[in-house]
Amino acid sequence: MADEVLRMQNITKIYPNGFVANKDITFGVGANEIHALVGENGAGKTTLMKILFGMEAPQEGKIFINGKEEKITNPLDAIDKGVGMVHQHFMLVPSLSVAENVTLGVEPMKKGLFDFEGAVKATQEIADKYNFKVDARSKVRDLSVGQMQKVEILKALIKGAKILILDEPTAVLTPQETEELFEQLFTLRDSGVSIIFISHKLEEVMRICSKVTVLRHGQCMGTHDTEGLNEASISKLMVGRDVVLKIEKEDPKTGKPVISIKNLVKINSIGKHVIDDISFDIHEGEVVGIAGVEGNGQTELSEVLSGMGGFASGDVLLNDTSIKGKSVREIRDLGLAYIAEDRMVEGVAGDMSIKMNIMADRFTKKEFKSGLFMNGKKIDEIARQYIQDFEILCDGPDQPVRMLSGGNIQKVVVAREFTSGANFILANQPTRGIDVGTAEMIRKTIVRKSREEGTATLLISADLNEVLECSDRLLVMHKGKIVAAFPKANEVSEETLGEYMLGIKEMTLEEMEALL
Amino acid sequence: MNIDWVAFIADALKMATPLVFAALAALITRQAGMFNMGVEGMILCSALGSVVFAHFGGSVWVGLLGGILIGLVTGMIIAFSSLTGKTDLYLTCIAFNLMAAGGTVFVMYLLTGDKSSTAGSLRSYQIPNIDIPLIKDIPVLGRIVSGQSLLTYLAVLSVFLVWFLLKKTRIGLRIRAVGENPSAAESVGISVPKIGYISFAFCGIFAGLSGAFLSMSWVTFFMKNMVNGRGYIGLSAQNMAGGAPVGSALASLLFGFADSLSITLKNQTTFPTEFLNMIPYLATILAIIITSVIAINKRRRIEKGTAKAAAEE
Amino acid sequence: MNKTQKIESVMEVVRILAGLFIAYAVALVILFAISDEPVFIVQQFIAGPFSSARRIGSIINLAVPFTICGLSMCFMYAVNKFNLIGEGIFMLSACMVTWVSLSLQNLNLPAVVMVPLMYVVAILTGVVMAFIPAIMDRKFNANVVVVSLMLNSVIAYLATWILRYKVRDSSIAYMGSKEIPKSVQLPGIFGKFRVQSGLIVAIICVIIIAVLFYKTSFGWKMRLVGANPRFAKAVGLSALGISFAAQLAGGAVAGIAGATEMMSNYTRFQWTTTTQHGFDGLLVAVLAKKNPVLVPIGALFLAYIRIGADVVNTSGDIPIEFVTVIQGIIILLVAAESFLSGAKNKLIFKAAEKDEKEKQAKAAA
Repeated sequence: MADEVLRMQNITKIYPNGFVANKDITFGVGANEIHALVGENGAGKTTLMKILFGMEAPQEGKIFINGKEEKITNPLDAIDKGVGMVHQHFMLVPSLSVAENVTLGVEPMKKGLFDFEGAVKATQEIADKYNFKVDARSKVRDLSVGQMQKVEILKALIKGAKILILDEPTAVLTPQETEELFEQLFTLRDSGVSIIFISHKLEEVMRICSKVTVLRHGQCMGTHDTEGLNEASISKLMVGRDVVLKIEKEDPKTGKPVISIKNLVKINSIGKHVIDDISFDIHEGEVVGIAGVEGNGQTELSEVLSGMGGFASGDVLLNDTSIKGKSVREIRDLGLAYIAEDRMVEGVAGDMSIKMNIMADRFTKKEFKSGLFMNGKKIDEIARQYIQDFEILCDGPDQPVRMLSGGNIQKVVVAREFTSGANFILANQPTRGIDVGTAEMIRKTIVRKSREEGTATLLISADLNEVLECSDRLLVMHKGKIVAAFPKANEVSEETLGEYMLGIKEMTLEEMEALL
Repeated sequence: MNIDWVAFIADALKMATPLVFAALAALITRQAGMFNMGVEGMILCSALGSVVFAHFGGSVWVGLLGGILIGLVTGMIIAFSSLTGKTDLYLTCIAFNLMAAGGTVFVMYLLTGDKSSTAGSLRSYQIPNIDIPLIKDIPVLGRIVSGQSLLTYLAVLSVFLVWFLLKKTRIGLRIRAVGENPSAAESVGISVPKIGYISFAFCGIFAGLSGAFLSMSWVTFFMKNMVNGRGYIGLSAQNMAGGAPVGSALASLLFGFADSLSITLKNQTTFPTEFLNMIPYLATILAIIITSVIAINKRRRIEKGTAKAAAEE
Repeated sequence: MNKTQKIESVMEVVRILAGLFIAYAVALVILFAISDEPVFIVQQFIAGPFSSARRIGSIINLAVPFTICGLSMCFMYAVNKFNLIGEGIFMLSACMVTWVSLSLQNLNLPAVVMVPLMYVVAILTGVVMAFIPAIMDRKFNANVVVVSLMLNSVIAYLATWILRYKVRDSSIAYMGSKEIPKSVQLPGIFGKFRVQSGLIVAIICVIIIAVLFYKTSFGWKMRLVGANPRFAKAVGLSALGISFAAQLAGGAVAGIAGATEMMSNYTRFQWTTTTQHGFDGLLVAVLAKKNPVLVPIGALFLAYIRIGADVVNTSGDIPIEFVTVIQGIIILLVAAESFLSGAKNKLIFKAAEKDEKEKQAKAAA
């Protein structure tokens, strides 16, 4: 094709742990095109783009830009060839100014020194050109998430990017910010920038992209015009079967409160109220979901409830006992199970065996000891049992966890947390970045445990589908406060939810009172 | 007890000089995000390098350049091991300091046949002391500020040079960016290892100056283990100041006073020298405790204090 | 996946061996370059340590403190704290054994009382000294490496002060203590090999500590905390408390090392600086990949090159310090992640590719 600005051909990438992330992928992007790259979490989208941006080296494959084969071995090469990337997690230096961040790498110089005023001017110019509103002099740490993303895009543009990769750009944005972003993307497209838009939000893909390339389990499922497709047909390509969006569940039979949060306040190290006077209860047998744009206090709430971080005032009662000043051990003994937000950070010790990871919360108990020593035989037996029950794909209980795939690592986490006998499960992003099958198993288990065993669950998730489907009651967090409460999560529309998540609307305490 | 306080303060400035250089050396790598304990061994190698280069080059200036060169080379060795070889930086530095301690004795022995010092076998050179006109005639102040080693004045100048480097130059901006968020720097095509190497090069220059001061100004020969923890003390000094150049220099000065106090008391009292020798090290430990306590309290105050303020609102 | 694991463990052994080999080769090159009679010297370096029963015994004698110090560092390294206080403890515990045993000399207690008592003194010394950097790490988040190194200097002066003012024998020409009581002098074993009875202590230590690491809940706790402290905290372990306790245990073991060395190899305390044993322990722990069972092997290797250096030092006037350079190289190579990682990744890639092909073949069938 003559107007094809980018072609990636037969790309194969295998990670050192043997995981095949990309398998013989070929796809092309035309000029003035917003091209969607879709696929489930873990399908290989990010890896493919990291290869294009020179951050990962593929074992096989070629990259053509404007018809010419190019070797891209590091980001500098990529930038030189006109490729820019906006990463999912912002790549900004918080203590530096917007201008310094934007010009980093291509700093304007004056008499051999860094020219700050020049940087401000250059930043302002490019921002004006594409109609971005940012203050070049303010420090990045003082910006909102939406503004940070603009800085990220400016960073790519100032280096002359003609191919712009956006990795799940809307994941952290409010709907209004998303709208603004889309307007800007259209402007960019019309001024000659090709955009690769990575997303798993299909309605966004349908709205702004003309072409879509689908990846599934590291393989390319073809490139299609979005015209003539609909969300259902794309999702079929993505998962190879109809997505099960519904979780069948009966109404909860709620009992006494398991956890009561009372006027909880947490202040971070720069004095910001990250949790601002929150109160609610979760009862036996119910799943309470928390929706909200990331960074509105969910992480901190999970920190407080799991005992990983303290709080300034208020109280939390777990099975009628305050967790104030208690260690994680004591809180777990009160009845906490905790699926951590980032499994590699708080969910597992990668270098340790599956066995040790599964037993990590309980091996100190008497039943696993014989005399002074650990009862190795019993521990092995139990570990094997759980590996079987949770269908963990591995060589055996002694294999280090880091060698497993993301989904199997998460299975190790839930094998531990679902069997600890706790009656309160704190599940923070329990299915992030894992395969559909495992995600479905985890969601179903959460619901089943609440119905059959009367477990109380707090489900914090950025995946709206997940919170809406799994939860009974739904709360919305914004700026550290609960701003809305709904009695039936699966009856809430995403639009209504959006307005509360953004803080456009806020329920009064009276409205919510009965629901907290 | 009859202590000459003016001499004591002048001495403190002198003793602070290698510490200031050590602190600046550690500071630059810290700004690039690396806790470099290797300064200890780098200074030791440079101290020997200075003496050897001066001897064979027949000039104190060759010695000074030689010291800086050795500082650079040793910096590159540590950088190579940790940045290219991906060895844990702590382990690299511990291993390197071990090698430096043994290696300097080894080289000294090969050159002189002596294992304790080069005094007597290699020619001594001294970096000149500078008398500052006018100031040298002022009573008290003249004795303190004037007549110090050239390197002492250079140390003062270096503090501002480092500040300038970090705040006003492109490489300084990049070093800070890499130290704060390496992925951010990488994403715009700045090579993180390259910046690491560059910061180790700057580090090497200052470690070289520190070493040259020890073997050509403090004394005029090299002796076994002559750095004696000064690298670690400098490292702690910049840590106390949170990586700020001027603060690091002031903290170094404080440790210079401890050093000087230990020497003065040794000369003027009959107190067992073993205990006086402990002063600089105990002072460092104490300083580490005080800094940490202040930092911890500050954080607690913010987390609790503002909570109260919020409750009162 | 199975293949990946196998490749990883095989490559790990290859890496360590290659690291040792390269360091050894460097040693030979240095010797070759600086010696007047290179062939003889290199031959001495390689074969010298095995040339007499006495020298073989020396290797074992030297390996004893290396083993116990290596075990001590295993505790620190297991919880990822490079607490180097073992260096100071080794010296101070030998000094304290000397001081206490001399103070109790007049009681004429039998060896069965005195020797255990000395070990109690040594362990207490180790625990108290390790407590300082450990508590500073725990309470103030102070850098444990810097603090322990500073403290080592303080300890060296403290031990020298005790030597000079408390236990010195002024009737001898050099700076040394009075002779320690016979009741605390451990006898040699194995006749002409003249092996110190510290060997028995070392063997017991290896067994107890290996069991502690792999068979007890404290060992599990330490390893989990070392592997991922945040995770350890999240599953309810007290990461701070466990790493604190591990450092105290490491201190106690370093104390045992110092006391054993003093009682089996010396009759007078005579050190005025620290002895490098703490750092040697670190090297051994790195070589052994913090696995107590492998510590004796690392210690024997280190002792072998040390004795080799000793031999060339006496027979060829080569300064023994060159060994520390070799030691540094070994640590750097063995600990370097990227050393031979290219080869490893290639193997893994090939294995994965093969797997993939097999899968496809199966799917096709």
